[in-house]
Amino acid sequence: MFWLLKKEFTLEWRQKYSLGGIFLYVGSTIFIIYTSFIKIQPNIWNILFWIIALFTSVNAVAKSFVQESGYRQLYYYQTVNPVLLLLAKMIYNTILLLLINLLSFSLLSLVAGNPVKDYGLFSVAILLGSIGFSFAFTFVSSIASKASNSATLMAILSFPIVIPIIMTLVKIAASALRLIQDTSVWKDITILFGINLILGTLAIILFPYIWKE
Amino acid sequence: MKLAWWKILSIIIILYVIFVGLLVPLKQGITAVTPSSLAAGSSVNLKIIGYNTKFNPSHKIRVWLKLDDDHALECNKVVVVNETELNALFSIPHDLPFDSKVKDFTLVVDNALDGTTVLPNAIYITKNDSIKGDYVNAKIENLTKATEFTFPFRNILAETIRNTYFHVPLWFAMFALFFTALINSVKFLRTNDLTYDFKAAGFTYIGLIFGFLGLITGAIWAKHTWGAYWSWDVKQNMAAISVLIYLAYFVLKNSFEDREKGARLSGVYNIFAFMAMIPLLFVIPRMTDSLHPGNGGNPAIGSQDLDNTMRMVFYPAIIGFILFGFWLAQLKYRYEILNAKVIEDSNEG
Repeated sequence: MFWLLKKEFTLEWRQKYSLGGIFLYVGSTIFIIYTSFIKIQPNIWNILFWIIALFTSVNAVAKSFVQESGYRQLYYYQTVNPVLLLLAKMIYNTILLLLINLLSFSLLSLVAGNPVKDYGLFSVAILLGSIGFSFAFTFVSSIASKASNSATLMAILSFPIVIPIIMTLVKIAASALRLIQDTSVWKDITILFGINLILGTLAIILFPYIWKE
Repeated sequence: MKLAWWKILSIIIILYVIFVGLLVPLKQGITAVTPSSLAAGSSVNLKIIGYNTKFNPSHKIRVWLKLDDDHALECNKVVVVNETELNALFSIPHDLPFDSKVKDFTLVVDNALDGTTVLPNAIYITKNDSIKGDYVNAKIENLTKATEFTFPFRNILAETIRNTYFHVPLWFAMFALFFTALINSVKFLRTNDLTYDFKAAGFTYIGLIFGFLGLITGAIWAKHTWGAYWSWDVKQNMAAISVLIYLAYFVLKNSFEDREKGARLSGVYNIFAFMAMIPLLFVIPRMTDSLHPGNGGNPAIGSQDLDNTMRMVFYPAIIGFILFGFWLAQLKYRYEILNAKVIEDSNEG
């Protein structure tokens, strides 16, 4: 397990250019937003931030199964328990997405101002969002990687699934930005946590069936 | 060939739902009262417009303004203009039995011919305390019981109340079909028997059609009650998203050359999609404001929206549409299995 996690990090370090590519992707998206909006209202800031998070996450996670060669997949198939492999990838992707989201948060604050009032709540949103995206996208990318048109499939399979996550995230973040007065924000956090739990459990149960291919 | 009684039953129920659901008239109702706000101490002539009413001078008509279960004002004189129009003369006393400044009254019309009708929050009366003690309580009693078989009249809904027998059962049926597809997908993953995959695909296909019909009937209903075909209501959006999820299922299924590989991956996705659909349809609409009944504080169907005559059509409609959906799904997967067999044979031959 730790070995696999370490492998993911080593692999990523060896392919610095692809990691750099994602960071560049974040940077250029935010720059485009900056040049086209200049002044951003807090409510638009909130939605923009999560849309950036969504698209960068898809791009960052999509490669997690696609990038590995057939030979290496065969090697894993013979040596590792599929559940451990999936867990390693999920944990790795969660850490990666957390980094990316923090980066895009700081960049967006730099160019468009920082409307966040409640940092604790906003960090909880980022953390739960990263976990949810990582679970959903890792699993879907493992399905999509089996098909030839994996990039398109990745988007059409995963976007409808993450819509509930996005909607709850926008709502939690809106209370962190003090856009709405929400007394039941803990209910939203619990719901988000529940969705993450369901996605994670399902992915772990179902992954061995995909892996057989 | 063995007789499939449930197929015949589904046809009988659906015909019953269409005929009874569309032909039984609505109860009489009141659509408008003018003026809608009055001052205490005045004498007014209320103009009452009815729907499906049979106002007739030869039958006794009584009109009340009801404050609560114990307090009401009775009308002095009722003039029948025509079958759907009444003029009711009220003299409102100065001293009214409530504390706030303005209070809403419910209009109650009793027709000895065909029963009683009410219009809640019909009239607002502003209080005027200059004279005390001129209030005379009227008792609402000896109401006429309606004897005809009719559906209830609700304001705004009016005739569209009949859509309850189509829109709601279609969603129930879609859910039942998707659930059966889920069970078949699980069975397929456990046994690797392709028959189960054909079944799962067939049930999902028909479920998707029912989902589209549910969206369409819902949009028509929304046009007449909420004002627009698409009102950006949470539940409407979520339903559209779950239809998208299941469309993605078919894209996934058909993007593999290898039949078995596609079957396995789409089976896995089907289970995933069903679980992702549950928060979409049952959790999120409940936590945000929605125009649908049962969400965002609106009362749910069943408590007061359905009366016994509607239940006699609504419950059979659910069963009928579910059975009909199963029949269609069965036809669909049987056809697909035969089709696959024909292709296989022609490849060999």
